[in-house]
Amino acid sequence: MIEIRDVSVSFGGVRALTNLTVNLADPVVGIIGPNGAGKTTLLNVFSGFVTPGWGSICAFDTDLLAMRPHQRARWGLRRSFQTEQVVDDLSVADNVRAMLDSLPVTSRSERERQIEKALTYVHLEGKADELGSALNTYERRMVELAKTLVGSPKIVLLDEPGAGLRDEEVDALRQTILGINEQFGAMTLLIDHDVEMIAATCISTVVLDFGELLAFGPTAEILKDDRVKAAYLGIEEAE
Amino acid sequence: MLLSVAALILIVPSLLDALYLRVFISSVIFTIAATGTAVLYARLGLVSLAQVALVGVGGWVTLRMWHATGLPFEVNMLAGAIISGVVGMLIGLPALRMRGLFLALITLMGAAGFQILVTGTQFPNGGDGVLGIAVTSIFMPRPLLGESDEAMLRYVCVVAVLCFLLVEFNRRTRPGRAWALIRKSEACAMASGVNVAFYKAWGFALAGFIAGIAGALLAGTLGVLDATTFPASESILLFALTVVGGAYHWLGLVLTGLLFRAAPAVLNDIGVNGHLAYVIFGAGLLHALITAPTGIAGQILDGLTQLAKRRAGR
Ligand SMILES: Nc1ncnc2c1ncn2[C@@H]1O[C@H](COP(=O)(O)OP(=O)(O)OP(=O)(O)O)[C@@H](O)[C@H]1O
Ligand SMILES: [Mg+2]
Repeated sequence: MIEIRDVSVSFGGVRALTNLTVNLADPVVGIIGPNGAGKTTLLNVFSGFVTPGWGSICAFDTDLLAMRPHQRARWGLRRSFQTEQVVDDLSVADNVRAMLDSLPVTSRSERERQIEKALTYVHLEGKADELGSALNTYERRMVELAKTLVGSPKIVLLDEPGAGLRDEEVDALRQTILGINEQFGAMTLLIDHDVEMIAATCISTVVLDFGELLAFGPTAEILKDDRVKAAYLGIEEAE
Repeated sequence: MLLSVAALILIVPSLLDALYLRVFISSVIFTIAATGTAVLYARLGLVSLAQVALVGVGGWVTLRMWHATGLPFEVNMLAGAIISGVVGMLIGLPALRMRGLFLALITLMGAAGFQILVTGTQFPNGGDGVLGIAVTSIFMPRPLLGESDEAMLRYVCVVAVLCFLLVEFNRRTRPGRAWALIRKSEACAMASGVNVAFYKAWGFALAGFIAGIAGALLAGTLGVLDATTFPASESILLFALTVVGGAYHWLGLVLTGLLFRAAPAVLNDIGVNGHLAYVIFGAGLLHALITAPTGIAGQILDGLTQLAKRRAGR
């Protein structure tokens, strides 16, 4: 359960988020909205890269905003970035291991077990020893995903994980996201421009427009909403 | 690999004459110093222009320790390295907030500060008080295992290998992975739970520690040190040559040491003014910045891989 209360962010004169208040409870929640709507900004507030001028976020009874960014990661917050951040000169396993290094996972064997589980889950178990630089776009996205799954994640934030992927790869990504809650116990917030992806994975969806909450509710209903169509889907079709 | 290096360390010193023994000793010592510069530059993408000053700090502490306690060289060396590591970390503190040009300038100011201090006070040479300055210098003896120049060259080579291994160990474990994330982006590192400030400070401390080792070896070789060896400009030159030689591979750091100390000596030896070396360094730096970001070592290694591929292709 994540309670977002009155969160407001402005950059100089630009209001990126305005009094956002919403309660999220489903295993996978979508966040959609046109370009510049404030989606990434919301994730940055979660991560601690942006300090909101106002408001609070309470996640599983913890005041998220009271912690520093790396402490939030240790607490169980995970995220992937809009531009993927796989390190080229580390092996796939080391990219994931780098994440575990800072987390309170005690034994070495437990770390290795978790790395193996995460890599197997994203179907990269055969590539554990390859360098990041040897991977294609899809594999890089999957390494990022694996990084979010180790060390008992509580919340996984995914910022357009499907950007730049081919159709069959998006299908595989969809399956992967759907299984996160069951396999790793984490709640997922998913930003994506692909409406089919959102429809197939997210039980409820938040729609942002110019930093304001335009709509929130079960995904199927939200996608039929006329205001959402006008603000978001209309723009999508026009593009 | 290690075996062939061991063979080199065993054989080469016995082939050199007195002049070149000394030149190579100081080349290897500055290879060690450059190893520290390279930790910051290659692993964290940070420019530190205080490395030679930190070598001076290590030398100062080593001399001070020996004159005060008479303990074995290795103990004094360790003390010098630790203090130099702490000083390096303090100079690096601004790095927690700055990067690029501003950080480089701050570290350069640190180097200039050391230059001013040590020019005013000189290095300890057996006198009383904290500064330990005497009118006639007492020389610190060589380490037991390095009493002749030949033995000393082997000694510094072994220490250089140990320093390489120390850096390599860091690179392959937790700090190395944290550095890799920080270099990728600090946001990514923080989102991965990395304490960015801690691991940057760790990088500066390691670079300073290694500089301190180099300073101790310099003091151990010469017995006394002179402030004119540690001007801020030498720190800049060492950084530039680290880029020219190649910061990403130990071979590049060996080249850096040779360029820094052996190139001027060779030029002098064949009757050319040693200052011509600076012209060559300048050209080398331009070359590195424009076409070879991994330095001469990178080019050599690329060439070798190409060659191996062509052989395999046949
Ligand atoms: N660091 C920043 N400094 C200034 N303005 C910013 C900053 N980050 C975001 N903005 C502005 O805030 C608004 C929301 O940006 P944000 O990146 O959150 O949008 P988004 O919904 O993720 O868009 P996209 O779909 O293009 O990724 C935009 O107008 C953007 O220009
Ligand atoms: Mg965005």
